[in-house]
Amino acid sequence: MKRNHLVLLLILASLALMFWAGWANFESRRQQAERLRANHVTLQPESANEYVSPLQGKPAPGFSLNDLNGKKVSLADYRGKAVLLNFWATWCAPCKVEIPWFLKLREQYAGQGFEIIGVSSDDLDKDDKAKLFTQKAEIVKFVEQQKMTYPVVIDGDAISHPYGGVDSLPTSFFIDRKGTVVAQTVGLVSRDEIESDIRKALAGGQ
Amino acid sequence: MKIRTLFVAASFVVLSLSARPQFPAAEKSAQSSARGAESVRFLFPEQVAIPAKKASVVELHFRVAEGMHINSHAPHTKLLIPTNFIVPEKSGINVSAVDFPIGADYSFSFSPQEKLSVYAGEFVLKAHVTAQPGQHLLEAALRYQACDSNSCYPPKMIPVALNIVAK
Repeated sequence: MKRNHLVLLLILASLALMFWAGWANFESRRQQAERLRANHVTLQPESANEYVSPLQGKPAPGFSLNDLNGKKVSLADYRGKAVLLNFWATWCAPCKVEIPWFLKLREQYAGQGFEIIGVSSDDLDKDDKAKLFTQKAEIVKFVEQQKMTYPVVIDGDAISHPYGGVDSLPTSFFIDRKGTVVAQTVGLVSRDEIESDIRKALAGGQ
Repeated sequence: MKIRTLFVAASFVVLSLSARPQFPAAEKSAQSSARGAESVRFLFPEQVAIPAKKASVVELHFRVAEGMHINSHAPHTKLLIPTNFIVPEKSGINVSAVDFPIGADYSFSFSPQEKLSVYAGEFVLKAHVTAQPGQHLLEAALRYQACDSNSCYPPKMIPVALNIVAK
């Protein structure tokens, strides 16, 4: 009887040891996977994109729009840099998801000559000063809440047509250092796809 | 026998736990196929008969395109654009009020914590109408802002034409 107890105790101890080893292994793999994911960028092959921009390979249409302080911002000012031109709006929920990614990617690639220009597509009643003031204030509030530190211009509808009629938001154009559109995304896409397109823009036009 | 069963079961659990963890499937960058398409359609009625000079309720049926949703009349956040029914002033007809349905809760897959109040599929507005005797054409409009699962579209207005016969 005592021998049986001893055997049972040994088996239970072995099982406990196996559980612990298994759990430790699982935890270690999980942490390793998380570390890998943090540094992982999936490069998207051209054929994987269902949507190919009609502007791809063409010069990005030039523009000059006001920022939130009334200062003119022109695309030409960014010649020599890779630019992510992102159309968004305050009422666009998917647009909000990208913003924290943009902030981190901007920080990550700024040293290589990368910049983001946010283009607000919110309606502006230019003929009604009071309404225009309120609408601008709403955009400013959104920009502050989202901590958008990159340049933001307003009145995106004014340049929607040359950019192919930007109808769904978010829409982003990736422009290389020579001002050529190298990629476009429509709707919310993965962070990896955005980063891959940023790299394309940085690599192009050198 | 019991100990052996316990041992086999425990080994199975341990092996399962130590199996290689799976990475989440890479997000497919599905592009919207409904770009620029009309998201909402006015279904019916085209004509209604109501008693003259008496307040009547007219039900207006709309349908949101499959895979799309629009903000309800009372979205949860101020930034979102509510659905509204716009009625021009016209002699002979008075639309005193419009009852909007309560929106259904919706969350984008990328933001499951944020609950939106939306209309999807078919929805009905109830317009409280009083008309003078005769035939009247009510030319109203529905203003809405639509989204699908990964894109949002600028606010739009669709016409709602209703022939009202008041007797």
